[in-house]
Amino acid sequence: MQGFSDGGAGADLALLQSTMHTIEVACSSIQMHINPTAAEATILSLSQSPQPYKACQYILENSQVANARFQAAAAIQDAAIREWGFLSIEDRRSLISFCLCFVMQHASLLEGYVQAKVSSVAAQLMKRGWLDFTAAEKEAFFYQVNQAILGAHGVDVQFIGVHFLESLVSEFSPSTSSAMGLPREFHEQCRTSLELNYLKTFYCWARDAALSVTNKIIESDAAIPEVKVCTAALCLMLLILNWEFRHDANSMKAGINVFSAGVRHDNASSKRSECVLVQPGPAWCDALISNGHVGWLLGLYAALRQKFSREGYWLDCPIAVSARKLIVQFCSLTGTIFPSDNGKMQENHLLQLLSGILQWIDPPGAVSKAIEEGKSESEMLDGCRALLSIATVTTPFVFDQLLKSIRPFGTLTLLSTLMCEVVKVLMTNNTDEETWSWEARDILLDTWTILLVPMDGNGGDALLPPEGKHAAANLFSMIVESELKVASASVANDDVDSDYLQASISAMDERLSSYALIARAAVDVTIPLLTGLFSECVAQLHQGRGIMDPTETLEELYSLLLITGHVLADEGDGETPLVPTAIQTHFADIVEAENHPVVILSGSIIRFAEQSMDQEMRVTVFSPRLMEAVIWFLARWSHTYLMPLEEANCHLSHDYEHQRQSIHSRKALLSFFGEHNQGQIVLNIIVHISMMTLMSYPGEKDLQGLTCHHLLHTLVRRKNICHRLVSMDSWRDLANAFTNEKSFFLLSSANQRSLAQTLVLSASGLRNSEASNRYVRGLMVHMTTYLVELSNKNDLKSVSQQPDIIMSVSCLLERLRGAASAAEPRTQRSIYEMGISVMNPVLILLEVYKHESAVVYLLLKFIVDWVDGQISYLEAQETASVIDFCMRLLQLYSSQNIGKISVSLSSTLLSEAKTEKYKDLRALLQLLSSLCSKDLVDFSSDSIEVAGTNISQVVYFGLHIVTPLISLELLKYPKLCHDYFSLLSHILEVYPETLAQLNSEAFAHILGTLDFGLHHQDAEVVNMCLGALRALASYHYREMCAGKTGLGSHAAGQGNLPEGIFSRFLRSLLQLLLFEDYSPDLVGAAADALLPLILCEQGLYQRLGNELIERQANSTLKSRLANALHSLTSSNHLSSTLDRVNYQRFRKNLNSFLIEVRGFLRTM
Amino acid sequence: MSDEEHHFESKADAGASKTYPQQAGTIRKNGYIVIKNRPCKVVEVSTSKTGKHGHAKCHFVGIDIFTAKKLEDIVPSSHNCDVPHVNRTDYQLIDISEDGFVSLLTENGNTKDDLRLPTDENLLTQIKDGFAEGKDLVVTVMSAMGEEQICALKDIGPK
Repeated sequence: MQGFSDGGAGADLALLQSTMHTIEVACSSIQMHINPTAAEATILSLSQSPQPYKACQYILENSQVANARFQAAAAIQDAAIREWGFLSIEDRRSLISFCLCFVMQHASLLEGYVQAKVSSVAAQLMKRGWLDFTAAEKEAFFYQVNQAILGAHGVDVQFIGVHFLESLVSEFSPSTSSAMGLPREFHEQCRTSLELNYLKTFYCWARDAALSVTNKIIESDAAIPEVKVCTAALCLMLLILNWEFRHDANSMKAGINVFSAGVRHDNASSKRSECVLVQPGPAWCDALISNGHVGWLLGLYAALRQKFSREGYWLDCPIAVSARKLIVQFCSLTGTIFPSDNGKMQENHLLQLLSGILQWIDPPGAVSKAIEEGKSESEMLDGCRALLSIATVTTPFVFDQLLKSIRPFGTLTLLSTLMCEVVKVLMTNNTDEETWSWEARDILLDTWTILLVPMDGNGGDALLPPEGKHAAANLFSMIVESELKVASASVANDDVDSDYLQASISAMDERLSSYALIARAAVDVTIPLLTGLFSECVAQLHQGRGIMDPTETLEELYSLLLITGHVLADEGDGETPLVPTAIQTHFADIVEAENHPVVILSGSIIRFAEQSMDQEMRVTVFSPRLMEAVIWFLARWSHTYLMPLEEANCHLSHDYEHQRQSIHSRKALLSFFGEHNQGQIVLNIIVHISMMTLMSYPGEKDLQGLTCHHLLHTLVRRKNICHRLVSMDSWRDLANAFTNEKSFFLLSSANQRSLAQTLVLSASGLRNSEASNRYVRGLMVHMTTYLVELSNKNDLKSVSQQPDIIMSVSCLLERLRGAASAAEPRTQRSIYEMGISVMNPVLILLEVYKHESAVVYLLLKFIVDWVDGQISYLEAQETASVIDFCMRLLQLYSSQNIGKISVSLSSTLLSEAKTEKYKDLRALLQLLSSLCSKDLVDFSSDSIEVAGTNISQVVYFGLHIVTPLISLELLKYPKLCHDYFSLLSHILEVYPETLAQLNSEAFAHILGTLDFGLHHQDAEVVNMCLGALRALASYHYREMCAGKTGLGSHAAGQGNLPEGIFSRFLRSLLQLLLFEDYSPDLVGAAADALLPLILCEQGLYQRLGNELIERQANSTLKSRLANALHSLTSSNHLSSTLDRVNYQRFRKNLNSFLIEVRGFLRTM
Repeated sequence: MSDEEHHFESKADAGASKTYPQQAGTIRKNGYIVIKNRPCKVVEVSTSKTGKHGHAKCHFVGIDIFTAKKLEDIVPSSHNCDVPHVNRTDYQLIDISEDGFVSLLTENGNTKDDLRLPTDENLLTQIKDGFAEGKDLVVTVMSAMGEEQICALKDIGPK
């Protein structure tokens, strides 16, 4: 439908009217659901037709249908962004001023959404032309806006002016800007320009607009139109304060201590919560702080509060909400906006805010009661948020002091009472629904976390003043009480949904870490408290044994163990966690280790855990769930306290006076469970308990998983513990049981694997490599022997299909895989031998189990892990034999699977079969990738070339075997797709020459997948394909330049592919770049691929370019396209070499080429 | 480590049994299980507890390998389940007769003529079309608990 375009100057009225009518009809038919597709097409054709501006303006001005006006505005936006490049300066300007004038003139008449749309169109176009307009042109626009905001044209226009600025600011802010098809630099430049030159002005305009109506609002008794202006102005101010300020001139990490001792400047803390720091820099001081702005804001809100009972105002009315949000935002103000006066000004600023906020949350009891009685909770929640913001920008000390000047207690006490109140409410109405108390608890917990999290790099915990400690202790005992109550109440509802459980466990974990911080702020009270509660629970259990149902107590113990674990020790996250500083530094007066509260608490839990060894106790008390908590606790605890490494050198780093005193007690604590004290006894207990859970809790996968993955794995991570373990009888018993005991064969597969890995890893505790290898051999020999013997059986074919044999084989393969993945330089030899000894059995088993997909997968995974762990250590001869083996494996797998079709009635089973195939192939690709890595990482003494092995040959051969199995259907699995293309692009980049040697079928297949990948929706896959393409084309071009054949016949095209591959890809890449959708991030990679392609196929490129030009009907566009194509290959001194500089130039050229032509090419 | 030589016992001579007992906790997805006296492939296993402090139980969803019907079962983790002995044998396809029986070549040169083609239209056409095109087809016959059925076919092509 070309009819909508203006077709030059003389568009006559009749045509405009008919266009308007068509669009109106289309809009109303969409609303009434009459043939919506056709109607959408009609509307779309308006925005896609060339220069539809006249028609759109006509519709905006004359149509009575609001939707039609909305669509007309949208059409202006689409068309103008698209055609911006060739609109005249005059046209651009007039479009923007049309939109602006339009909204202002129709300020009182328009529907809200049309108004919003038109001002956002104006804002977007303004941004599009931002870098081209002169300062005077911008001034002209803003003068108009300013006039409006000053209120010269009435309240409605004032509102529109403020609203337009809001659209403009959000358009310029990176996270809310629209794409416009321009590079990131453009957005960045606009952002900087606005921040430096306009943002503060806008803020002042908004403030003045709000000020101008404040009195009227305060004086009037009912809702008046000015409220709308004030709300909009507050929103705009909030938006501006949310801006991510970058150009704070001196805040660039300049001297953290220069400004003040009391105020934090680290960014780490802000990452912990959603609280955004507002750091606009010194230039903003006059606008935000020094002119009583905050006082006005607080006064406004206080006045509003008085009105809440009247008509038109309530706690959640828009103006109140915006005012509160702005107040909270002011609490986050920090950085160089405050002069370097030791934080005085910031403290005053915060104090002023806090005294305003105080009414929202104080007294906590009354506030929470009012909410429970039906008052809206939003003000109280905002008060909590404000506390969080203040905590983010202050130290605990400053935070606490703030309130002291106006109240007899500190802010921490207020925080504690407030949270106690919230926890109380939570405890009384314990439901699964998210109530206000949940939200308040989470915000307040975040506040505590921000305050208490160690703020300096040394891991020193924040020290609270005594009153603060007291507050923390009170709060913690309240929290524990509530958690225990919730736990015992939860016994009743046991129909827990497992998905929900998972989610709530991770949420709970986060919550528990925050509780732990609070507890550690007052360890001297909280640890004895925990000890007391624990022994109370245990005593209850013993008293009630056999008399009453212990479930509630068990659940309480469960919670208590989790809480205690978090308080005593940190999560390692792969590192060895130290004893928390709070625990190290307190208890200075305790010299006897036996009296150390931490020792007492740990000891009582370990003794309790030990009781699980007793058969009768186990049955009556130690339910699987309780045992899970015990194992979890032991793992976490032993990671920190069992035979700690720093036992010897704990006098390092800290030299404060009071810490020097406490060294004694620290030493006592650290050495108590050390190697030369109780450590070995406890370790022995732990190993016994682990073995017991693996044998006496049949089928309890979760418990056994925790034991294997968490507890035992934690133990072997530290060398000094391994050293002890390998000399202990209990560990030997565990290893023996693992190889011989039947119950160990019943563990789930992941646990088998993990246990094998753990046992092999413990070998690092032996004296030397020889002993370690001997240990591993002894451990694994039974398993390899079994597999060898089995594979040599005459009746293997029939025996192998028996379920019990399948189970043992699977089990052993899992163990071998676990051992293979534990290979370390020290034990590499024995693991290598282990693999070599089962090479033949693996091939035989692959043959007999070809229909048993689960076993096939295990075989492949074992080999993948084994090769991955071994390949870089192998000597030339060994590499050759491993590679030979892998090739045989690949061939065997391929011969079994190529052309195989599963037939089944069940679609589930068919899709299962497909998934299994996908997993197999993914394993095979991983195998090839590991083999590839031999060329990159090689620790062997001689080069592998010695034995005549060429990795590239091997991998190509492998690819030859694997690719036919990879169908386009299978490439729909994202992981497989990813693996495949990363392998492919790696191979093509590193060994392009060997591609030429592939036969034409395999070659065609690889290229087919490459073509598929180019059009994939995952940008990373496309990126890898472009990389592969670049590698191929540049290899070919270089070879040709050097007078060689390059890819030879493949490049020239042959047989069923009359066109050479480069021609094909040149075509499809151009098609993609010019006409299809893709992420702008890909343009760079596409340029890198396009350049060598053009150089390879210059003739075709010329032809394609001419075709493109010929297709263009419009003569102006034709010449634009011709020019653009010309400058694509000639500007920026582009030459025909493939060096870095040239690639960069071409990237630039392509970028400007696409900006220039894509706009009109895509719509025609 | 113990020096005592140890070998895993294999029950090679217990071969005739149709099912084997196996602890429920060890049966995995993609394994086999007998539910309601039908051999099934396990497509889903989930564990839960009987009450908060009770013992684990496994919830199996299986698909009957012959009829494709979905069956479910809940068994305590530590109890035994029956696992079917599922055998698969490859035969070359010699002929398809009018009355829906296939003729297969066994390993020792005899023919096996007692197997019906699958009744499902789709499967039927897959086999018939391949055969009609003159491809060299190998069919895999799955048998368990006294039943058998063609479960896969493969074009071995002219090698």
